[in-house]
Amino acid sequence: METTNAPGPSKSGKDGEEKEENPLFECNICLDTAKDAVVSMCGHLFCWPCLHQWLETRPTRQLCPVCKAAIGKDKVIPLYGRGSNQQEDPRNKVPPRPAGQRSEPETNSGFPGFGFGDGGFHMSFGIGAFPFGFITSTFNPHDQRPSQAARGLPNEDEFISKMFLYVAITFIIWLLLA
Amino acid sequence: MALRFSKSKHNTKVILDGERWERRLQKELMSLIKEPPPGVVVDSDQGENLSLWTIKMRGAEGTLYEGENFTLQFKFSPKYPFDSPEVTFIGPNIPVHPHVYSNGHICLSILTDDWSPALSVQTVCLSIVSMLSSCKEKKRPPDNSFYVKTCNKNPKKTKWWYHDDTV
Ligand SMILES: [Zn+2]
Ligand SMILES: [Zn+2]
Repeated sequence: METTNAPGPSKSGKDGEEKEENPLFECNICLDTAKDAVVSMCGHLFCWPCLHQWLETRPTRQLCPVCKAAIGKDKVIPLYGRGSNQQEDPRNKVPPRPAGQRSEPETNSGFPGFGFGDGGFHMSFGIGAFPFGFITSTFNPHDQRPSQAARGLPNEDEFISKMFLYVAITFIIWLLLA
Repeated sequence: MALRFSKSKHNTKVILDGERWERRLQKELMSLIKEPPPGVVVDSDQGENLSLWTIKMRGAEGTLYEGENFTLQFKFSPKYPFDSPEVTFIGPNIPVHPHVYSNGHICLSILTDDWSPALSVQTVCLSIVSMLSSCKEKKRPPDNSFYVKTCNKNPKKTKWWYHDDTV
């Protein structure tokens, strides 16, 4: 009976170091420092691979191993420490850890006047009308001088583009009033 | 009070990440030696194999089992700690208790249905110590003779109907 002898080869060195670590951050299943850590709603810490395996073991009865509170894949929060990637054990990558959830702040739509509630038809028509009028008037100056000189109809192109613009504006106003 | 590993050559085929569970068992052993539950004094005589433990337990003072010595056997499957250990009393003295069959099988819910990987050898020992300590009358379970004749060797194969916890 040797009481002082270490029971295994990996024992002496590694465990000596681990005694120094904070047991607060030990996984409740493997008793090691939690890797790919997740925390349950009840506040209990696990490695994700450990917890995942437990959830798979009893899929119909998923309880926190520590306090028996209800637990599940969508009820745990991953913990991201600084530089946590460096400590990751590649053997434990098996099931991907559930991702952290980040809600986007509410933003207003780019076309407040058109109102999404009016329906898809109005929206697409309005968007179509805009660039059409825009393009016509933008391209107009390039055309203007040659056409002025050659055809002697200085205002025709400009007139057409303005017509489109008016149609577009009228349409927008109609949409707003409708 | 002795904790001893069997020296059998039975190699456990490990799942997924065997080293990790082996490390857990080693950690459990260390903490059991360091802080044994009352009535459990551990001395270690280790072997290659961590999957079979023998733990000696003394009946607590002031209880019906005072002065008695018992031996508990823990068998760990490769799925431990997701799978509960197989825990039985072995040896010549099996405690006479309403939840302990004469073949050493123990009717204790944490050993099957209520097992959780957050439990450990230490907490199982504690539960068994307190189960013995709270006993008010030394007797076998009512269905003892039938059970012992018909049961599987592995108590985990038994579909236990858990007795009233107050006994
Ligand atoms: Zn773990
Ligand atoms: Zn919990």
